[in-house]
Amino acid sequence: MFMILTSVAVISALYFVIPAVTDAAVEPKTFLTHTGLAIQTTGDVIDPIGYTGETLEFDPESYLREFDYGTVSELEDGTILREFTITARDDQVMEVSPGVFYNVWTFNGSVPGPTIRATEGDLVRVHFSNEGSKSHTMHFHGIHKAEMDGVFENVGPGGKFIYEFLAEPVGLHLYHCHVHPVEEHIAHGLYGAYIVDPKEGRVSADELVFILNGLDTDFDGENNFYGANTVPFYYQHHPVEISTNELIRAYVVNILEFDPVNNFHLHGTLFHHYPAGTDTVPSGFNDMLTMSQGEREIIEFEYKYPGLYMFHAHNTEFSEKGWVGSFLVKDSEKNYSDEN
Amino acid sequence: MSKVSNYKIALSAIVPLILLAIVIAFLMGPGTNFLEFGIVLPEIHLEQIDFVDGEIQVIVRNTGPIDVNIAVADVNDRIQPAAIEPDNHLSKFETALVRIPYDWNEGQPYSIGLTTDDGTRFEKSVDAASLRLEVNTELIGYLGLIGFLIGIVPIMIGLLWFSFIQKLGSSKYRFFLAFTVGLLLFLAFDAIEEASEISQSHLSDIFNGQLLIATVVILSFLILFSIGNSLVKKSQFSKISKPLAISLMIAVGIGFHNFGEGLAVGAAIALGQVALSTFLIVGFAIHNTTEGFAIAAPMARTKAMILRLVGLGLVAGTPAIFGTWIGGFSYSPFSTVVFLSIGAGAIFQVVVSIIQYIREENENTLSNTSIILGIGLGLVVMYLTSIFI
Repeated sequence: MFMILTSVAVISALYFVIPAVTDAAVEPKTFLTHTGLAIQTTGDVIDPIGYTGETLEFDPESYLREFDYGTVSELEDGTILREFTITARDDQVMEVSPGVFYNVWTFNGSVPGPTIRATEGDLVRVHFSNEGSKSHTMHFHGIHKAEMDGVFENVGPGGKFIYEFLAEPVGLHLYHCHVHPVEEHIAHGLYGAYIVDPKEGRVSADELVFILNGLDTDFDGENNFYGANTVPFYYQHHPVEISTNELIRAYVVNILEFDPVNNFHLHGTLFHHYPAGTDTVPSGFNDMLTMSQGEREIIEFEYKYPGLYMFHAHNTEFSEKGWVGSFLVKDSEKNYSDEN
Repeated sequence: MSKVSNYKIALSAIVPLILLAIVIAFLMGPGTNFLEFGIVLPEIHLEQIDFVDGEIQVIVRNTGPIDVNIAVADVNDRIQPAAIEPDNHLSKFETALVRIPYDWNEGQPYSIGLTTDDGTRFEKSVDAASLRLEVNTELIGYLGLIGFLIGIVPIMIGLLWFSFIQKLGSSKYRFFLAFTVGLLLFLAFDAIEEASEISQSHLSDIFNGQLLIATVVILSFLILFSIGNSLVKKSQFSKISKPLAISLMIAVGIGFHNFGEGLAVGAAIALGQVALSTFLIVGFAIHNTTEGFAIAAPMARTKAMILRLVGLGLVAGTPAIFGTWIGGFSYSPFSTVVFLSIGAGAIFQVVVSIIQYIREENENTLSNTSIILGIGLGLVVMYLTSIFI
């Protein structure tokens, strides 16, 4: 009897102690990390930094240069009317980093929401509907009437609201849900950029949008991932292609939760920066931009030399958790001569 | 008894089992969703972290109720690329090896994190990184020498008390037998305490560490009790004397215990905890001298046979050498807990044997001042030497 008990105990102990035997790939492959260390492995590689797989559900590549100007019509008095349709949801589970699935709350199905763009003096009309299971609103930064502020008029599940205001002042603003607890609604993804162009327009440039954000996927009040336009390390494995001697204008918005300060550091050149994009005179010529929560800046720069240049948070904790990318600067003169 | 009634007996034993199987199938079987309520959270446990050349290796086990995928690895909360073998999918209880290429620094603390597919991060910290020991003759010799020093040497020294005990009168002899009981009781509680410490800090909750210890202690007690009884019975008809049988049982019990101690020392050396391992080695060396005494005491009424004593010393001490090797080269918290518990059970069995022996020597009673004093003093002496560990 004791012998039976012992053998049962021993066998069950072995079951726990010896790792389960699983079929393994026979061919070892070499796996090289971004720091140049290499190992041979027969297993799976989990590498969000050097990710080479398919683009995830949300594509930061197209988001970068995508502006929503709305449906344009002209009112009797000559005012331009821009109408936008925005739908809030809170039931999507999205692959935010390769293999990591997170419940995102979205405006028009993506985090960040669409970049809403109008010209100074236009009438902006946003047809907002809430298809989520909680109350949501749209709170725009900028000048508008109190009842258009999206704070006290919660839009319940299935509800609708029309936000209407004149686009002012010129600058780079943002919008986000303002339902309590606001931190939760923002952290889950309910935000986007709102740009008001000056009537006379800005100098032509290659324009990019960077929403600096983070993801607290385990709800411990600290971000597990950081990024520019949500997907960690995205522009690291898919560098942003730009050209030498071409003006680049980046709309940089910091919507990070939990961390009070975020920043933006550019390699290989310096930029002029305009806080909130409201002034025509730059505040400085720098390669560092420090922004508190909700702050945003327009930056303008050019590259003199072609090559691969990093941009990232100089708070390296953020950059090593995803907020890092690169510009692949191509030689514009060479391209020109190639074409001829 | 007729065949029919045998058949009936078998049936009456099986029917409840069949009914139980039907109930379980109803609750958990495929296609039922009877118990699918509440939130199911994934859980993984980082069981072991090793530092090898240019790489940090983690053994991770799925200790939760559902399958998981490992999505991200990090070092000090900074995301790192990693390989995971055999693959990143972990079924219930399955383990995998995560290999993180990393230029780590000797002696520095690290916390290693793994994030599952639902975005939950699990971590484990290491106080000071040190290169995992690789098997080579020099190290085998070194660890073997340490095992020899903590196991065999102090026990042999303790056995030298044999001739002293031999010269004692029967009341003083009872006192020293009782003293041995005190020593052994302390060793058993010490082993249980250490096993539960290891299970709390290194074993994940699904192993039910405390219950594992209780189960193994009792099982080992029962098994050795039956073996010991038959050994003592045989001793009545063979050359083996009863005191020798008891001493042999003590030596075996202490051998299990020393195996566990060897594991602890080997593991401390492997983890680079120099200060801790020095303390352990010196502490065990002092402590284990008393084990030699415990082996010698029951034999003191027989003729001194040096070879027998040496043999018993080797039975009790040699396991320390094997323990040091195993602890140094492949430490497993699970097997350490199991061996410490076997040791505790074995010692309880020995305690029972000695108490029976004392009772027979003392007209079937234990209420004797020298016995009570002996047990108490044995415990106190062990407590005092344990402070060195």
